[in-house]
Amino acid sequence: MSATTLDQPVKPAPARKNAERAPWIDWMVLPTVVVLAVVIGYPVVYTLVLSATKYNMLDMVPPRYIGGGNYQHLFTDPIFWTSLRNTALYTFGSVIASSLLGLTLALLTESLTGWRFRSVRALLLTPWAVPFVVVAFLFRYMYLQNGGVINAVLLDLGLIDKPVLWLNNSYLALPAIMVANIWAMMPFFFLLLSAALAAIPNEVIESARIDKAGTWSMVFQIKLPFLRSALFISSLLMIISNFNDFAKIWAMTQGGPGYSTTTLVVYVYRLAFENFNFGYASAIGVVWLILLLIFALVYLRAVRVQV
Amino acid sequence: MFRLSKMARRSAFVASTILSLGIAVTVSHAADKVTLTFANWADAEGATRPGIQAVIKEFEKENPDITINSQAISFSEIARQLVLRVRSGNPPDVAEIAGNDTFLLAQTGKLAPLDKLIDSKTMAELAPASYEGYKVDGKLIAFPWTLAAAGLWYDKAVMQKAGLDPNNPPKTIDELMKDMAAIKKSQPDVIPLGLDTTNRAFSLQSNWPWMKTFGADPFAKGGAKSEAMKKYLSWMRELAKKGYIDPGRKIGEFRPLIAQDKVAFLWDQVLVQGVIQSTNKMSDADFYKHYGVTTQPTGPSGKSYSFEGGHQLVIFSGSKHQKAAWKFVKFLATSPYAIEHYTLSYEASLTPLKKAPSDALAKKLDTPVFNAFTSKIMPTVTTPPYGPKFAPGSTAIMAGVQQAVTGDTPIDQIAASIEQNLGN
Repeated sequence: MSATTLDQPVKPAPARKNAERAPWIDWMVLPTVVVLAVVIGYPVVYTLVLSATKYNMLDMVPPRYIGGGNYQHLFTDPIFWTSLRNTALYTFGSVIASSLLGLTLALLTESLTGWRFRSVRALLLTPWAVPFVVVAFLFRYMYLQNGGVINAVLLDLGLIDKPVLWLNNSYLALPAIMVANIWAMMPFFFLLLSAALAAIPNEVIESARIDKAGTWSMVFQIKLPFLRSALFISSLLMIISNFNDFAKIWAMTQGGPGYSTTTLVVYVYRLAFENFNFGYASAIGVVWLILLLIFALVYLRAVRVQV
Repeated sequence: MFRLSKMARRSAFVASTILSLGIAVTVSHAADKVTLTFANWADAEGATRPGIQAVIKEFEKENPDITINSQAISFSEIARQLVLRVRSGNPPDVAEIAGNDTFLLAQTGKLAPLDKLIDSKTMAELAPASYEGYKVDGKLIAFPWTLAAAGLWYDKAVMQKAGLDPNNPPKTIDELMKDMAAIKKSQPDVIPLGLDTTNRAFSLQSNWPWMKTFGADPFAKGGAKSEAMKKYLSWMRELAKKGYIDPGRKIGEFRPLIAQDKVAFLWDQVLVQGVIQSTNKMSDADFYKHYGVTTQPTGPSGKSYSFEGGHQLVIFSGSKHQKAAWKFVKFLATSPYAIEHYTLSYEASLTPLKKAPSDALAKKLDTPVFNAFTSKIMPTVTTPPYGPKFAPGSTAIMAGVQQAVTGDTPIDQIAASIEQNLGN
């Protein structure tokens, strides 16, 4: 019997010799392709076409071709760049903070078992069950200058001498929304990382203990390498999800004060559905799509590497 | 083969004739009956739903040949939905609309001009100020339904507690600042002035009279960078820095607060009375003792201004039942039943009529609040430059106002950025 060493990759089993190939089976994907072409392909292509036109829905005239005019305008539009910066801050800030928080909680609760683990897990997962719009309104009322619980507590503790304008200060508004977002998103990371921690083979943990690995080396040298792929994939998924996050920002600040919390999705919404300027909104949509495609490709590649 | 007797054939002939006639009569009756689609937010809001449903029911009772299919759409969604429906060739027959949205819809060219539908008698009964603002290229594109101008509401109890004369509300911005300082000092938990500083078209509509009293017109070329606009922005910053306003709240959020004596002055529409009374259950007599309303305190221009925030009704040119639609519009806006059971009861607003259609209604309209609005505030109404540039302009202007209110960016820089974002 030949032994397979760990260095040698395992070859996939060859196809059965007398397995019949039925070409008509390939055509079975056709309905799916048609549905995808209509549901995804057509809007994407139409957005690309619209992005090269001057098109205001109120004018009741057909879109007029202007080539790269909208893209040219985009480069000189300060609100677009502010939105892009805010989107990056919001997305990466929220994902980094919530993943670290989720990881910490997963590690802290790892040793819990039985009803204790079940109770803590249920408590920590509660924010995930709250709809995003409810989260937004909950935090909006908590942040209020007059009557908000956060200011009331801070005033009572003597930490501040007058109420803080959490959502009405150009510098604090975005971090304040991010706190709400982190609170809502943390359970996702907690859940995935708890599952990944549970999947670490006992032998690995036992041998590390026999080697007298300390708490920190156990976390950084043993557990984190096992969690890397779960952390990476969940972060990529959340980056894509946060890039499109509209509900929380709109419900809490509508992109204000000024443009301090205006992200790409909020800006596109205002352009398309308040000003009916679909041409320019489509151009921003195309840039947005390209950015998301980059993340999606990285994600797909990462998944393929894992497989 | 199966054969029918002569008698049976006759019976079958008579039965089929009766059946055919019955179907024909039913079809012709159905053809006479008109169904109107009515897109509105009155039916979408819990506070006004019972009122509008009662009025629709009454209209259908009086006009058995017309059925109303009420389509409830929220206030913030209705303009978007109507534009999309117009673009897809599926507009309703009648719609409730307000503010800049009326003019956005008019821009599509798909609103039926009402001049041909309105009879001269109805036209003569209307107060000219109620409809003149809704003429586009000389054609009336919307019919005034409710009139709801804004005034400065004041809480007499709060003023008294601050040592101010509750029957002498501020007449100038300087007096207002002095009063607010006294209120802030005596009652730190009271918001001295309720002002909407959110970033939406309605907020600019609401803040437009304040800009005007400073002599500012940000839409004019160089207007956003003008000294008058900078003075207005500086004043807004001063209000925020001194804690006289609570930025970021929508106007509706101040209403329950003034009902609980938590707001001293409120820049709001006539309909506030209804909201306050529904919150604190005050009787009319107690309300008039406790609250008052007056014109806007004058700024550097020396003039008071207001904005009209009432609702209008439009008929779409694609409607196949324009006459029936007009009958419905007329009923909603001018019939004694609708005025009593909706305009006054649920909207607490004024009617577009020169005078009340009955003595009973005249008596109901003879209140200190309605009188103040009719005689003092309505004449100060100024119409913002509504149209396609208003919505994008409002985003740019209100973003600048928010920057002034919530940040430390120099006012000159904010004014220049508004000017740039307006593309003036």
